[in-house]
Amino acid sequence: MLFEENVRRVLNEKSGPEISEGIAAVRTLLELINSGDATTFSELVTKLRTAVKIMRECTNESISMTSGCELFMRFISNIRDEGRDESFEQCKTLMLERGNKFVKKVDSSRLRIAKLGSQHIKENSKILVHSRSRVVLELLKEASKDKQFKVFVTESRPDGSGRDMAQELKKHKIEVECILDAAIGYVMETIDLVLVGAEGVLASGGIVNKIGTFSIAMAAKAFNRPVYVAAESFKFSNLYPLNQKDLPNKHKYESLTEETIDRKKHPLIDYTPPEYLTLLFTDIGILTPTAVSDELIKLA
Amino acid sequence: MELLASQEDMSQDEALRFLRKMEQSDQLGSFEAAYQTVKYLRQKISDSQWGKAREALDLVKEQSARLLKGQRESSVGNMIRRVMKIIKDEHFSSGKEKTDERDTQESLQKLLLADDDEEEYNQPKENLKESVIDSMCELLSELETSAEIVCANSLEHIQNNEVIMTLGNSRLVEQFFKTAVNKKRKFQVIIVESFPNYRGHELAKALTEADIKTTVVSDAAVFAMMSRCNKVIIGTNSVMADGGLKASSGTHTLALAAKHYSVPLIVLAPMYKLTPQYLSSYDQDKFNQTISPHHVLPYNSGEIINRVSVSCPLYDYVPPDLVSTYATNIGGYAPPYIYRLLADLYHPDDYNLKQELNS
Repeated sequence: MLFEENVRRVLNEKSGPEISEGIAAVRTLLELINSGDATTFSELVTKLRTAVKIMRECTNESISMTSGCELFMRFISNIRDEGRDESFEQCKTLMLERGNKFVKKVDSSRLRIAKLGSQHIKENSKILVHSRSRVVLELLKEASKDKQFKVFVTESRPDGSGRDMAQELKKHKIEVECILDAAIGYVMETIDLVLVGAEGVLASGGIVNKIGTFSIAMAAKAFNRPVYVAAESFKFSNLYPLNQKDLPNKHKYESLTEETIDRKKHPLIDYTPPEYLTLLFTDIGILTPTAVSDELIKLA
Repeated sequence: MELLASQEDMSQDEALRFLRKMEQSDQLGSFEAAYQTVKYLRQKISDSQWGKAREALDLVKEQSARLLKGQRESSVGNMIRRVMKIIKDEHFSSGKEKTDERDTQESLQKLLLADDDEEEYNQPKENLKESVIDSMCELLSELETSAEIVCANSLEHIQNNEVIMTLGNSRLVEQFFKTAVNKKRKFQVIIVESFPNYRGHELAKALTEADIKTTVVSDAAVFAMMSRCNKVIIGTNSVMADGGLKASSGTHTLALAAKHYSVPLIVLAPMYKLTPQYLSSYDQDKFNQTISPHHVLPYNSGEIINRVSVSCPLYDYVPPDLVSTYATNIGGYAPPYIYRLLADLYHPDDYNLKQELNS
């Protein structure tokens, strides 16, 4: 039980409104390696596995957390395979050293995406953004340095995260208009491109994101507007859903603050199949949806 | 395709002449431009003194600023990127015993290995110059044979008694048809004439001389004629990074008509036409070029000249979902696969050449 408390405490320390769940989880695991008292490899791995389980239980397990943890565990076993002849202590130092680099890379991925993606935003374009996404915000901030454009943000019920997004964009002097979720069809003819973030990027090349993303992508397809996704590569996950029902329930229903909505009946995320997406802006480059499974296969 | 240049070294004179042509944006064919660019860079690289990869890269950058000045052929930029990638690759493989080539592409795998990738290319390597020049010679041979290899597959794309539509004139398409006819395939070609330069007429002349049954139609007849076609085979100016095309104007219409009638659209694209740039149709200013509208509305047509604005864009952007297959010199590929080829051919840092040059 002591361990569980410890995990929760560290996770709390590492989490924050500006930090993606995936990054927080990876940082927590690294901290656990650093402060832990494990003396053998298998002890360490067991401890980390338990920690992953605890983290899943005490949060609204998001896809990015699962994929981030998976990537990190793979990273650990890679080091184990490499350092077979070395002592555990040496391995641990190596692990911490590389782990820190890993976290640094993951941390900087948002900026890389912003740099890559912002060249796709042209002067005077009109952009539709759904819900709140930290990567999208970063990208728009980067683009606003040398370009003028207008952003439409959906209100994004039920948590109204789009309104927060609009506030933040305003703070950065970006022209913004908050619209109703139901007004997507209405604005589609005026906009040039759709830009969304993602909670998870799946092996099919499709994405899981805040509920409503699928409807926007469908409307965009009907109007021949490009749909761009900005997402870090640690969000790549091995899930391969064929329809909405295939999404694991644990990802679908989070705790809701609004009581009027029956949370067992109303999912908070949806799955957008790859044929509705144009390009993915990731820290490992600008990818077509097909490229995602390629990257995941390369890992195996 | 007739080779205007041989693989031999450029003389001082030739080099100067070539550079002048580039700077004055003389029209070279995309093949000729690519080939000469590599030869020119090879000359520069072998003539100058350098020991580190960084110095060679700087040299290439310095030269490319001049080469790119007035060029509208994307193949020049593509070749500069290829050469830069060669230098970077050789930097990793030469001198070391290790022969495994370092993966220069960013990937999830690399994220996992947490490699440091801040490479300055500053260590001197043995035999770097020789191996770079060797690889550039290989590149030149690849360029020389590319058209031939694309055409070697013509029998797989053209069947007996088929009706094939094409647009404008492309030397590669001409050679493609001729190869098929030389191997005793019988087929008919419908050529869209491509207003205002009527390059389709040139192709028609060349094909009839080779005894291919040829029909020329106007640009406006594309849709009407499409229903009786089995296939559309076209050339292109460049293949964009998203798998789309930058091709002569009128191609988008052609592609849409082909889609409507479910006629497969095959694009002949040797690899030097693949460019790592994303330019979308909504950014026409950056994407397109306009030429003199004299053919659309002659300057002597009187008072009306002052009252209308006439525009004559050269290119069309064709989105990737309208293309069925790319027939390249390294095989046939579907548009979604283009990003892989891109990763194999170019270094990600060089994608944006203009930015790189300014820094």
